[in-house]
Amino acid sequence: MNEGLTRRDRLRRDRSLLIMVAPAVVLLLIFSYAPMVGVITAFQYYDPLIGIWDSDWAGLDQFQQLFADSRFWHALSNTLYLSFVQLILFFPIPIVLAMLLNSVLSERVRNFVQSVVYLPHFFSWVLVITIFQQMLGGAGAFNQWLRSNDLATWDVMTNPDTFALLVTFQGVWKEAGWGIIVFLAALAAINPGLYEAAAADGAGPWRRMWHITLPGLRGVIVLMLVLRLGGALSVGFEQFLIQRDAVGHEAAEVLDTYAFYYGIATTNYSFGAAAGLFKSVISLLLIWGANKLAHSFGEDGLYRK
Amino acid sequence: MKPELNRRSFIGAAAMAPLLAACGGAPQQKQKVGTNTKTGLRAALPSYVPSTSVKADIASVTGSGGAVTEPAFLSYPSGGIATVQGVPGKGGSYTAVTPLWGTVPPANNSFYQAMNKALGATLTMKPADGNNYDTIVTPMAAAKKLPDWIQLPNWWNAKFGTDRLVGTQLADLTPYLAGDKVKKYPNLAAIPTGAWQACVWGDKLYGIPSFSTNFSVPGYITYRRDILEAKGITPDQVKSVEDYMNLGKELTDAKRGVWAFDDVYTYMGFAWDIPLKWKVEGGKLFHKYELPQLLEALDWHYKLAKSGYLHPDAIAGRNADSNARFYAGKVLISGGGAGGWHLADYESGVAADKNYRRGAFDYISHDGKSPGRMYMGEAARIISYLNINLKPEQIEECLAIANYLAAPYGSAEYTLINFGAEGVHHTMKDGVPTATEDGKKFVQASTFPFLASPPLVISNPGADQVTKDYAAWQAKNVNALIKPVFWNMNISMPQQISLLETSQAIDDAIKDCYHGKKTVAEVKDVIDSWKKSGADRLKGWMTENVLNKYGTGQ
Repeated sequence: MNEGLTRRDRLRRDRSLLIMVAPAVVLLLIFSYAPMVGVITAFQYYDPLIGIWDSDWAGLDQFQQLFADSRFWHALSNTLYLSFVQLILFFPIPIVLAMLLNSVLSERVRNFVQSVVYLPHFFSWVLVITIFQQMLGGAGAFNQWLRSNDLATWDVMTNPDTFALLVTFQGVWKEAGWGIIVFLAALAAINPGLYEAAAADGAGPWRRMWHITLPGLRGVIVLMLVLRLGGALSVGFEQFLIQRDAVGHEAAEVLDTYAFYYGIATTNYSFGAAAGLFKSVISLLLIWGANKLAHSFGEDGLYRK
Repeated sequence: MKPELNRRSFIGAAAMAPLLAACGGAPQQKQKVGTNTKTGLRAALPSYVPSTSVKADIASVTGSGGAVTEPAFLSYPSGGIATVQGVPGKGGSYTAVTPLWGTVPPANNSFYQAMNKALGATLTMKPADGNNYDTIVTPMAAAKKLPDWIQLPNWWNAKFGTDRLVGTQLADLTPYLAGDKVKKYPNLAAIPTGAWQACVWGDKLYGIPSFSTNFSVPGYITYRRDILEAKGITPDQVKSVEDYMNLGKELTDAKRGVWAFDDVYTYMGFAWDIPLKWKVEGGKLFHKYELPQLLEALDWHYKLAKSGYLHPDAIAGRNADSNARFYAGKVLISGGGAGGWHLADYESGVAADKNYRRGAFDYISHDGKSPGRMYMGEAARIISYLNINLKPEQIEECLAIANYLAAPYGSAEYTLINFGAEGVHHTMKDGVPTATEDGKKFVQASTFPFLASPPLVISNPGADQVTKDYAAWQAKNVNALIKPVFWNMNISMPQQISLLETSQAIDDAIKDCYHGKKTVAEVKDVIDSWKKSGADRLKGWMTENVLNKYGTGQ
């Protein structure tokens, strides 16, 4: 595609695209790349009052402490577990929702449903969890109703055993509606002529979904899956921070809260930086691996050279 | 000098943060560890000249352990006299950062303007969110961009590294205030010596104390007096933790949405004689984590959580709503931090329930056999500091302003600082300064008193019952207050040692235990692993560098 074009020609051709992407690049440079210098602190006994130059070198001591800490491994396995549960239970829901919504003919109904399912995305986690507590908490509406009918109560908000399901449910309630946007866009890109032709050939709704809709969505689904895997170690922070006391810190500890509590909150910044750096390196490997996998399935994935 | 953060500097700061931090430590000062020497401390402390300008309606009572109750006032002194002649300022401009637990008032509002006029200087107040204050100060300090005047509450000293900021970024006030020099500032001289002691590091005076009190307690077990009294329950009936457990049974009515207890661990633990941090027994030092009574106390709290007498939202860790539960009568007994029993509390309570009345139980021992006890906190916990880059004449100007801000209760200055200008921010109704809308917006969010304030008094204009109740409770409990080891001693320790002093893992396990999610045996395992991972190093350091050299300070 680029054969025969000089770099200059390509610059000229893509000028408007490059201008459009420039602000995002600048933002990334300032807020993501430049502060990366700070990872040095993971190899120090960093003391903010002394500064990076003068803090003592720790070599790999912070990492040794990190890997020797059973709580760290617990946080890692908990993160992976929660991520896995969310992948299985959360990931398919926006796809199904998008297909359902797409099949609704009345535009008014579609717009209404779409607005209703979008709305929770704009709520903060504090609010979402407060709503859940008011409804499902030990003194919430559901349990008070059980009590008034002399039935046994069930406090799902403080049960560590079902916490993974609870946070996934909260995640679905808050984010599933927002997640359908990208799939709706992909659905809109499918040529309606294909459906008409298939219907004319006698294909029922299931066959149309299997042979037209899903293949049409495949690229996007794989892309979202790659992104999801890359973020497997980032299952969320606030949601777990807020509910940590409710279910006990063991059930709610994920890598991000671990780095916060054992790094920042206790002013052990270097230790927190080491935990953060570990997480970033693994995430990078995950996203690279997932992308490779996507290529082997013949999809573009996140990027292709 | 001013830590202005505009759009441009923000982007610069984001990108440069690590580099800024890197440029930090030009002259690396050797940290002086340990605590103040007896003679050094004595030389640094200001003389004490108590103020006699107003007479309290309910006088202070001195307890056997050295605590003194706060004087209480039922009526607001009319026609307050000015204690400062002319304006204290000399036209200087200073920026001040203070924590604020509430809504930040707009900049340059009419109250700030009135204050600046009265001060004769421009004080640019930059209150910052109190809940995140600890995370706001550290980056400013790391970038060497502390404002001219800053408030550093002492419970965050370890986090701020206050012991290392003094002398490197914060000014030494000893030459201005030590001994009789303080008499130049009579309102500062009226602040009791114990409060100044909390401002001394390495035998030098650095801080200016606010809200000083000789009745410094972490808190108490508070209850809905209106509701319990109606059931015939009075504090005299509660003499042991067993009595509390029985109350739990009596008061909980889950069907009606009423539970006896909110979280009480923080303040109930003292009944088992759990110290704030350290205890000396038989000449040997013990950290609170390794004391057997900690496990005993946890066992009781674990049972409380499992008994069903603890509100489910408390078990769910929703502490932010605990006042709302209390006002609504959904919980009847709760842990109450000191400083929460006042006019605003009364107003919020009455808004929810017109019969609302707060009470507090007396301090007890867990078995009810020995006398009740509570460990005293430092005589000042809110301490402000001046920037080291200020010139001597600027420091003198700020101290003159501090002297104005520390004017005694009821003085003309006190009225302006706490209620704003008459006619604009408050009006006098039946001798009570009553806030106008502007007063509520601009004045009630307290900022100036965080730079300097007179010793605490109990005063709730318009709600005398609150004043009487709180003063009576203090008087009844003053003998229970005892000084803990290392009381009022500022201890400076190497960073690697201070990291051992608190354990997130143990604090987490304790919380899980009093919420009924972890057994006492599981907490003990976490404590045992802390003991193995350096607790001895911490204890050894404390014994060698503090206990053996300076004693317990009791």
